Amino acid sequence: MIHEWLLDGSLALLILTLAVAVLYVRSLYASIVLFIAFGLLLALIWARLGAPDLALAEAAIGAGLTGTLLLAALGRTPVSQRAEPAFSGARQYVRSGPAVVLSLLIFWILLQAVLPLPEQSSAVVRAAEQHLDAAGVAHPVTAVLLNFRAWDTLLELLVLLLAFMAVRQLLPSLPRAPEAWPLLLGWSCLLAPLIILIGGYLLWRGSSDPGGAFQAGALLAAGAILLRLTDLLPAMGWHHAWVRLLVLGGCAFFLLVGLFTHWLGAGFLAYPEGWAGPLIILIEVAATLSIAITLTLLVIGETREVRG
Amino acid sequence: MTQVLFYLILGVALWVLGLHGLIRLHQPIRRIISVNIMGSGVFMVMVALARRSEDPDPVMHALVVTGLVVAISATAFALRLAVTGQRSEEDRE
Amino acid sequence: MTAALAALLIPLFTALGLLLLRSRSGPLVILTSLATLAAACWALVEVTTSGPQSLHLGDWPEPLAIRFQLQPITALLLVFTALIHLLVAVYAARSRHCRTRDTDYWPLSCLLQGSLNALWLSSDLFNWYVTLELLGLAAVALVALSGRKAYGPALNYLLLSLGASLVYLLGVALIYGRYGVLDITLLATQTEADQSTRVAFWLMTLGLMLKAALWPLHLWLPKAHASAPTAVSALLSALVVKGPLFILWRLWSEAAPVELAIETGPLLAIAGVAALLLGGWSALRTPWLKSLVAYSTVAQLGYALMALGLLMHWQLPALDAALWLFVLAHGLAKASMFLAAGELQATLGSKRVSALRGTTETMPVAMFAFAVAGGSLIGLPPSGGFLAKWMLLEPMLGQSEHWPWVAGILLGTLISAGYVFRVVALAFDRADPVPPDFKPDRFAHWLAMLPALVVWGLALVSQPLIAWLTGATP
Repeated sequence: MIHEWLLDGSLALLILTLAVAVLYVRSLYASIVLFIAFGLLLALIWARLGAPDLALAEAAIGAGLTGTLLLAALGRTPVSQRAEPAFSGARQYVRSGPAVVLSLLIFWILLQAVLPLPEQSSAVVRAAEQHLDAAGVAHPVTAVLLNFRAWDTLLELLVLLLAFMAVRQLLPSLPRAPEAWPLLLGWSCLLAPLIILIGGYLLWRGSSDPGGAFQAGALLAAGAILLRLTDLLPAMGWHHAWVRLLVLGGCAFFLLVGLFTHWLGAGFLAYPEGWAGPLIILIEVAATLSIAITLTLLVIGETREVRG
Repeated sequence: MTQVLFYLILGVALWVLGLHGLIRLHQPIRRIISVNIMGSGVFMVMVALARRSEDPDPVMHALVVTGLVVAISATAFALRLAVTGQRSEEDRE
Repeated sequence: MTAALAALLIPLFTALGLLLLRSRSGPLVILTSLATLAAACWALVEVTTSGPQSLHLGDWPEPLAIRFQLQPITALLLVFTALIHLLVAVYAARSRHCRTRDTDYWPLSCLLQGSLNALWLSSDLFNWYVTLELLGLAAVALVALSGRKAYGPALNYLLLSLGASLVYLLGVALIYGRYGVLDITLLATQTEADQSTRVAFWLMTLGLMLKAALWPLHLWLPKAHASAPTAVSALLSALVVKGPLFILWRLWSEAAPVELAIETGPLLAIAGVAALLLGGWSALRTPWLKSLVAYSTVAQLGYALMALGLLMHWQLPALDAALWLFVLAHGLAKASMFLAAGELQATLGSKRVSALRGTTETMPVAMFAFAVAGGSLIGLPPSGGFLAKWMLLEPMLGQSEHWPWVAGILLGTLISAGYVFRVVALAFDRADPVPPDFKPDRFAHWLAMLPALVVWGLALVSQPLIAWLTGATP
C-alpha cells in the first residue's frame, strides 16, 4: 500500500515541479525541453491511471509532436524575445502577489467542488458496457470514439482540418532545412519503415485493444516528418491532388457515411446491422491517413504554393 | 484519501497553474505552453474521474483523446501565428 | 429533422468540395448558401407545424448518444445564420476589399456556418466544447485573413478563446463527475444546488462569457473584430458571439437548479448593465470607426446578458422572447453597420471616425444604412431593437422596486444614441466633405442597407412574432 502512495506521491511532486519550472524558468529553450519531459511524465501518469490509449496518444501527440512544433517555433523566434525576465526583482514579487492569492483562492474553491466527486458513478458508463456488443468493435474506447460518440470524432477531424487551413494561409516562415547528416539518413531509412509498421499495427489493434486511429496517425506523422526532413519523401504540396484527397478523405468519408446512413433510413451515423465493424475499420483507415498527413503538414508547414 | 481524489486535486492544481501562467506571462510561446498545461490539468481530472469504476470509464478516455487532438491543432495554429507575428514586428522595426 | 441535417451538412460539404477542387468560386458558395437557407426555412416550417423534434445520433439510447434537438428557437437560429451568411457571401463575392480571391475565405466561412449550425442543434455538453473550438478556430483564421497587422489581435483572441474553452471544459468535467451524464435534458432532471454543481456552473458560465465577450471578459473583442476584413467583422459580430450565448441560455434556463439560477441571475444582470454603460462609453470615445462598431457590440450584448440574468432571477420565461429578439435585431443591425462602416472606410481611405465628415453627400446610401441600423440599436420605435427593449421593460414597469434596472436600460439607450449620433452628426457636416479615394460601390451600399431594413420590418410583424417567440420558447 505504502509503495503505491510512494509512486503516486513522487509522480505528483515531479509533475508539479516540472509545471512550475516550465512556466517560470528564464530561458525559453529550457522551458520547452522541460515541457517535453512534462508530456512524457503525463503519459506515465495516464498509464498509471489505467488509460493506455491516452498514454500512447500523449506520448505521440502531447510530448512528441507538440515538442517538435515548439522547438521549430523557438528556432524562428528572435533571440531578444527568448528569455522572459520572469521573476527578477522584489517589485515583481509584489506585483504578482494578488494574482497568486487569487490563484490560491480559485484552487481552494475548486478543491471544495471535487471533494465529493469520487463517490459518484456514471450512467453513461453502464450504458456503454451494455451496448458494447452491438458496437462492432471490442475495445470500448474505440467503440465510444467511432460509434457511440462518432459525431464528436467527426467534428474533431474538422478541427484538425481547420487548424491546417489556418496555418496554411499564414505567410510561410520556414527557413530551408540544413543538409541531413549521413547518420541521420541511415537511421531514418531504418526507423521509418518500422514506424509505419507499428503505426499500421496500432490501427489494426485498435478494434480490440488500446490503440486506434489517432495514435496510429500521430505515429505515422512522426515517421513522415522524419523522412521529409531528410528529403527522403517528396514535397507534399497542396497542389498535389493526392495530398488534398488524403487530407480531406477522413472528414469526407465520415460525412458521406453519415449522409448515406440517414438516407437509408437507419438514422444519422447509425451503422446498418452487421456493417458496424467493417465501416468503422474503413473510417479509421481514412481518418488515420488524414491525421497522419495533416499533422505532417502542420509540423513541416509547406505553404509555399498557397498564395499563387 | 483515495487515489482518485489525489489525482483530481493534482489535476485541479495543474489547471490553476496553467491559468495563472496564461494571465501573467507575456511571451506568446510561453502563454501557449500555459494553455497546454491548463489542458493537461482538465484531462487529468477527467482521467481520474474515469478511474472511479472497476473498469476505467471508456467515455472519459475517448473524450480526452478528442481533447488531445483539439489541443494539438490549436497549438500548431497558435504557434505559427505567434512566430509570424513576431517576425512581422521585427520587420517593422 | 432531414431539413435541419441538410442545413448542417450542405456548408460542410461545400467547404470540403472547395478545398478539394482548390476553387475560390464565390457564386458557388452563394448558391449553396441559398440551398442552406431553403433547408433552414423548411426546418422552421416543419418545427412550427409538427412541434420540436430530437434525433439520437447513431440511434443509441438515451444517456449514451449525442442528441440533436430541433426546437423552434433552434430552427429560427438556423434561418438567421443562413440569412446573414448568404448576405455576407453576396457582399464578399462582390466587394473589392474582402480578400476572397487570394485566401481561403470561402471554405473558412462555410466551415464557420457549419460549426454554428452544429452548435445550435447539439444538446450535449462535451459536443458543445468541440463545436466551440471549431467556431473559435474558424473565427480566428478568418480574422487572420486581413494580413500581418491582424496577427497580434488574432493570437490574443485565439489564446483567450482556448483558455475559455478549458475553463468551460473543467466545468463539464465536474458536471460529469457529479451526475455522470452529458446530455442537457437528462442533466435537468438531476441537478441539485450543491457545491460541486455551483462551481461547475460558474466555471462553464465564465468560459462562455469570455467566448461571447460579455463584460467584464470582453477585452479581446474590439481589436479582433476591428482588425478583421469587413465581411468577417460582420460575421463575427452578428453570429459568432451568439453561439456561446445560446449555450449559456440553454444551461441556465434548462439544466441549472432553480435556487442557483435565482442566486446567480443578479450578477449576470449587473454585468449586463455594466457592459451597456462601459462598452457604450468606450464607443463614444474611440477615434476609429470599426472600433466604435465593435465596442457597440460589447454594449449591446449587455442587453442580452441583462435579459438572461433577469430571466434567471425572476424565473420569467417571457424574457426568453426578449433575449432572442435582441439577438436577432442586434445581428441584423450589426451586419448592416459593419458592412456600411467597412465600405465607408475603404472608400474614404481612412479608418478614423473624423474622416466621415460630409458622407451624407458623398455616400448617402451607406451612411443611411449606418444610421438606420443605429436607430435599431438605440431602440427607436418601431424597429426590432425597440420591440426587444419593450419586451424587456414590460415586466419591470409595473413594479417600483425595479427602477434601477429601468434606469440602467434608459442610460444605456442614451449612450447608444450618443455614439450613433456622433457619427451621423459628422456625416451631415457637409460644408467641407472628405473626398472619397475611390468611386463608391452603390451595390454594396444597398446590400448594407438590406438587413437594416429587415430589422425595421420586424416591427410590421411584431404581434405574430412575439406570440410565436413566446410560444416557441419552452
